[in-house]
Amino acid sequence: MEKKIILTKEITKIYKVGDIKVNALRGINLEINEGEFVSIMGPSGSGKSTLMNILGCLDKPTSGFYYLDGINVMDLNDNQLAEIRNKKVGFVFQTFNLLPRLNIIGNVELPLIYSRREQSRARKDLINEVINSVGLAEWIKHKPSELSGGQRQRVAIARALINNPAIIMADEPTGNLDSRTGEEIMAIFQELNRRGKTIIFVTHEIEIAKHSGRIIYLRDGILCGEEKVKEPVNACKMLENMPKLEDKINNFSNNNSNVI
Amino acid sequence: MKRILENIKIAFNSITLNKLRSFLTMLGIIIGVGSVIAVTSIGSAAEASISENIQSVGSNVITITPGRDRPFTSSSSGGESLREIQRETNINRSGGNARPPEEQGQGPAGGGFMGGMPMIEEEEEEEEIVAGELYLEDVSALKEKSDLLENIAPVLTLGNLNFSYGSSSGNISVTATSEQYPSLSGYEIDLGSFFTEFDVLNATSVVVLGYDVVTDYFGKINPIGEEVKINGEKFIVMGTLKSAGYTFGMSADNSIFIPVTTAQNKLYGNDTINQITAKVKSEDFIDAAIIEAKSILREQHSILPGEPNDFEISSSEQLLEMATSITDTLVITLASIAAISLLVGGIGIMNIMFVSVTERTREIGIRKAIGAKNRDILIQFLTESTVLSLSGGITGIGLAGLITWIINTFTALSSLITISPVVIALAFSTVIGLLFGILPAMRAARLSPIESLRYE
Ligand SMILES: Nc1ncnc2c1ncn2[C@@H]1O[C@H](COP(=O)(O)OP(=O)(O)O)[C@@H](O)[C@H]1O
Ligand SMILES: [Mg+2]
Repeated sequence: MEKKIILTKEITKIYKVGDIKVNALRGINLEINEGEFVSIMGPSGSGKSTLMNILGCLDKPTSGFYYLDGINVMDLNDNQLAEIRNKKVGFVFQTFNLLPRLNIIGNVELPLIYSRREQSRARKDLINEVINSVGLAEWIKHKPSELSGGQRQRVAIARALINNPAIIMADEPTGNLDSRTGEEIMAIFQELNRRGKTIIFVTHEIEIAKHSGRIIYLRDGILCGEEKVKEPVNACKMLENMPKLEDKINNFSNNNSNVI
Repeated sequence: MKRILENIKIAFNSITLNKLRSFLTMLGIIIGVGSVIAVTSIGSAAEASISENIQSVGSNVITITPGRDRPFTSSSSGGESLREIQRETNINRSGGNARPPEEQGQGPAGGGFMGGMPMIEEEEEEEEIVAGELYLEDVSALKEKSDLLENIAPVLTLGNLNFSYGSSSGNISVTATSEQYPSLSGYEIDLGSFFTEFDVLNATSVVVLGYDVVTDYFGKINPIGEEVKINGEKFIVMGTLKSAGYTFGMSADNSIFIPVTTAQNKLYGNDTINQITAKVKSEDFIDAAIIEAKSILREQHSILPGEPNDFEISSSEQLLEMATSITDTLVITLASIAAISLLVGGIGIMNIMFVSVTERTREIGIRKAIGAKNRDILIQFLTESTVLSLSGGITGIGLAGLITWIINTFTALSSLITISPVVIALAFSTVIGLLFGILPAMRAARLSPIESLRYE
């Protein structure tokens, strides 16, 4: 039997806004195996972000159980949760969430600063390798504001990868991107999954969801079904058929072999 | 280590991002630290210069001036014992007539060994103004009878008189005294000699010139033996003094000295003097010497027991104590003002740090989302407030340097910024940064990652 890297039991989340209570999640039971590539689909307001934030240890559920890689997350304190966010999970946001005043190196380096691993000798090499792997080698001195949306999301992915986490979580990573750039991001995720990373991402577009191996449907805070994708869309092939193909994906697949 | 540098870098980035705001925030600390250091260094320089001047005179010099004696608090032991003696003699000699001791004690300090006359029962209260005079005979009496005093010199200050040499003339302060004066004042002879006992006894027309007078009127000419005029009277220059610097803003350098007898005869037309200055043989006997001088002068002036003195005696020790206490008070006052401005500066830092935390809520959220612990955020913001405060402190030290430089350039003081107030100021500004940064930093550290990320 495969190892369950994520296991939730009856997770609920209630937001209190003044006197009004919003039941954003109403009993989520979810199992995800190591190495899986899972997408969570659902209409706007169905609780996708709420669920992802809980899975990414950014937020705590109101009730229920959550085991991440065998650890009962409900028992952890702030510091231990920070440790998990730093080492076990790489989180990619829809709005990138980069620090505007740091250049790419600075942004990608950030999780290393908080991980207290003294590896200064290899550190520079590691940062450059990861930046190479997302195809931004020529941009390392640039600030996020000087980059396109797709490039910013690559920086965010590089940042998520720097501490070599087992799981990558992404909340609508292509939501702010055009379809071609979105496809490029999905190509990176597919490559990462091929190299063994567990990937969970949220989308409301079925075309994007079809890049994953399993689609989980969410509606009004409960899981309302799931389906296996028999033949996931291959992002690289899609890109070949799209105009203005760039070589970056090839760079990516050639250069990052020793990172992951 | 890398992380500390990282935090300092972050701090500098955010401080330089809002240059004007950071500067205004630092201003309180800059002014506070600047004034603390400037005040302490100038204060200690002033105190050093005063006590050096007094020390050069000697702390065992007493000064007798005409006028009513107000009992000095610091020499009260002397007054006390005098009153004691007075009480005894009265009780012994006037029998049933004696008043209760308490009542007697309320009378002005005074009395002496030649008591024995019955006390005048009626008014002898303060209204009675005794404007005594001092004469050369008083000096002679002290010389003759005192066991504890030496170098007793009369002083008659004549104020600014017309002084001329050749074609140049001007107003110069004239002091008339005796041959004892140099050993009392500490003034040193440069050329020639000070006038002698002979000159005082015979009222010769000789003069000793202060340093500035020589340079102003004679330039490179040797003044010894030259003839000068004071208010039209001819004098021969007998000696010149080395530069003596300033005491309480006054200097002997711009003064001239003549025998007291000559001054009385030719310039003053009166046989009184302003002051008697004398040295106590040992510093241990200053109080006793004052008592002794009092009784000699009371006898000389035929003052009845119970009547107040018509002269005042003060010691240079009292002068030194007074000067020290004045500068101390000044330093304490200014230092507390400075401390308040440091406090205000600290509050300014706290305020700006709260603003900074709010402005950077999203940054805090991002940092936490990728694994920053509460402690990391706390340290980041504490570093920022400390760097802010410490930069203010360092700028303040620069400001203090500027202030003391200006003061040194325009006054005779030579203040030096010593290492200890600098170290204290740096320590203080660090502590202020930490102290006033802790609340904002704790607020930042406690922010929830997801709520901070949602913050717009
Ligand atoms: N911080 C919050 N406070 C109150 N209600 C919230 C908050 N975040 C989300 N919600 C509510 O919870 C529900 C689910 O939101 P969300 O998880 O963002 O949905 P999705 O990401 O699928 O669009 C929505 O009704 C939303 O209004
Ligand atoms: Mg959402």
